[in-house]
Amino acid sequence: MSAYHALLSHFPVALWITATLIIVWRSLSAATLAQAAARLLPLLLLWAALMGLITFSAGLLIWPLEAVSASPLARNHLLAASWTLAYWVLLLALCWRGGNLIWHGSWRLLMPALALIGVTLLGVTGALGGHLIGNPTMIGSLLRALGWEIYTTFYLPGWMLVLTLAGALLFLGLAWLWRPRPTTTTRGGPQP
Amino acid sequence: MSPTSTAADRRLLFAGALFATLLLLAWLSHGRGIIRDDPQRNIVIPQQLLMPLTLQAAYNEEEIWFRYRWPAERPHIAMDMLRFDGQHWQRHGTSPVGQDPDGLYEDRLTMLVDDGRVAEFRLFGGYITAHGGQRFMSDAVDAANVRAHPHLGATLGASDVRKYLPATRQAPHDWDALVDADTLARQRQAGYFLDLWHWRAHRSNPVGMADDQHVAEYRLNDSGRGTFSSNQDSDTGLPHFMFDPSLGQPALRWSEITTTTDFDSRYFLSRDQAVPFDPQHPWQVGDTLPRLLLQHADGSRGAIRVVGSARWQDGHWELVLARALDTGFPLEDKILHDQGSYDLAVAVHRDASGSRWHYVSLPFQLGLGRDATLRADRFAGSAPDWSQRSSLELTLFYPGQVTYASLLSRRHAGAKAMRQGIPARARHSEQQLAHYAVEGEFRQQITRQWLWTLSAGLLLIVGFAATLFSLLPRPARSTS
Repeated sequence: MSAYHALLSHFPVALWITATLIIVWRSLSAATLAQAAARLLPLLLLWAALMGLITFSAGLLIWPLEAVSASPLARNHLLAASWTLAYWVLLLALCWRGGNLIWHGSWRLLMPALALIGVTLLGVTGALGGHLIGNPTMIGSLLRALGWEIYTTFYLPGWMLVLTLAGALLFLGLAWLWRPRPTTTTRGGPQP
Repeated sequence: MSPTSTAADRRLLFAGALFATLLLLAWLSHGRGIIRDDPQRNIVIPQQLLMPLTLQAAYNEEEIWFRYRWPAERPHIAMDMLRFDGQHWQRHGTSPVGQDPDGLYEDRLTMLVDDGRVAEFRLFGGYITAHGGQRFMSDAVDAANVRAHPHLGATLGASDVRKYLPATRQAPHDWDALVDADTLARQRQAGYFLDLWHWRAHRSNPVGMADDQHVAEYRLNDSGRGTFSSNQDSDTGLPHFMFDPSLGQPALRWSEITTTTDFDSRYFLSRDQAVPFDPQHPWQVGDTLPRLLLQHADGSRGAIRVVGSARWQDGHWELVLARALDTGFPLEDKILHDQGSYDLAVAVHRDASGSRWHYVSLPFQLGLGRDATLRADRFAGSAPDWSQRSSLELTLFYPGQVTYASLLSRRHAGAKAMRQGIPARARHSEQQLAHYAVEGEFRQQITRQWLWTLSAGLLLIVGFAATLFSLLPRPARSTS
């Protein structure tokens, strides 16, 4: 299954990287072609998420869960893959729901930043997978230089877990507080 | 820009900044809070997980020589002392959990040698000798259970479980399920044992020797007399011998022995400087006598000699050991031959640490007059010119409590590869193995924390997504 997982992983990786390029391009340009490419994003990201899910599932079949949860490198790979998948689903939802409106105002700056975080997660996940199957890259050394020894499990101390959970709850609270309420205006919305 | 959009922008900026801050804090704080010493569970993590060692080898018609060089902050050459407290002679500096607090534990170098007849050793090195229940493991077997064992206790006189080879048990992890004595004897005839060269900075170096041992169903001494024996009466607790007063003070001073790095000072007691202990001597608090009496080894156990003087200098130990190619004890030593190929693994104890707190190498091949990971070539004359010899730079690592059975279990993703005969070196670096070893000592706690981290991260992404959703600009409803 390891070989199939590696084979399958090319699809979401390629699609998410393509999506990143389109997001960056669209954030910089309102040209007709950039707008056309951006309209493809929901479909592209949906396809990437599906392929990502299939790749993720195939990865879970390589070793017994017992082995995955006992290996620091495998734990890290699983954690990074879970976050990557969830994160790109978030971007899919934003692109889907936001449509053309996410290319205006502050969103126009936020979108490439979000995409770059996503592609970083993707790169880390892929690099860890490479280490797992015996094809290490310099990314491992780069992460080490930045403060994370990839042969040790990435876990948060208790206080940081509390802070993270508090942050998550705060976000949910803000979402409720800032939830959109029906408004009425005269004709016309934001212009591209 | 409308007031509404300005407020939305501020909220977006706040959400983004909060998310980025949490990511940054997670990055800066990860990996903390679990790994800490727990002596109650025999867990002490060394400050350094890796160390280098340089190795050279050469041989002539009669002997093989090895030259080892490794760094150490300071030499530890004293151990196992009897300190007078005013009433009793108290024992200090026995095998500690982690580092001895008084610095009283000797530096050591050990080398396992095989001639290919312990097939798993070539692939996995010393891992094949590590099993659950061994002394100083978190699940160390109780001494009474070992003493009650018909072979380990009654025959060998052991009170703990030490290194053993997997096939000496009916299942590798069953420390007490030994195969029968006849099978053990036939295994020995078939060469199923590892030769163990064991140099000790206190217990063998002062008499210019290394201990010659072997590993089979236990870590066994070769036949013959060893380099040390007890200097304490088990009934009275008094020393048998003290220093000859005609040569100086009859005892050492505690404050000196715990800090000594002077090879010319008296830090050991040998037969030629010992006289029977005088209980009437006006002993002072702090007087200290070595609990071990050193002597020249003989027989198979005395087959390995130190060439010259093994000394620590400029931050490094330098040691040369020599042994006859053929010791005449083929059931306890691996006999070496010109053009032969052998499997070796080296380990070092330093920093006043004993037992399982050592640094080990992965196995490597030695070739006598033929290419191998370490090639030994013939030398003529009284000694090899080491400056003309190739050397092997090894990285030694802390092996933790990883057992052979756990490596073959479902918990190890590489178990299948091991059964296929893929060597550890093909899949793991020493750095990786060291970190895995440390994490293995906290497996349950780390797994639990990792699961929490994974879940908290997902929840954070969901929360962030919900906030961004709430801030998505909506096309305004038209009233016209």
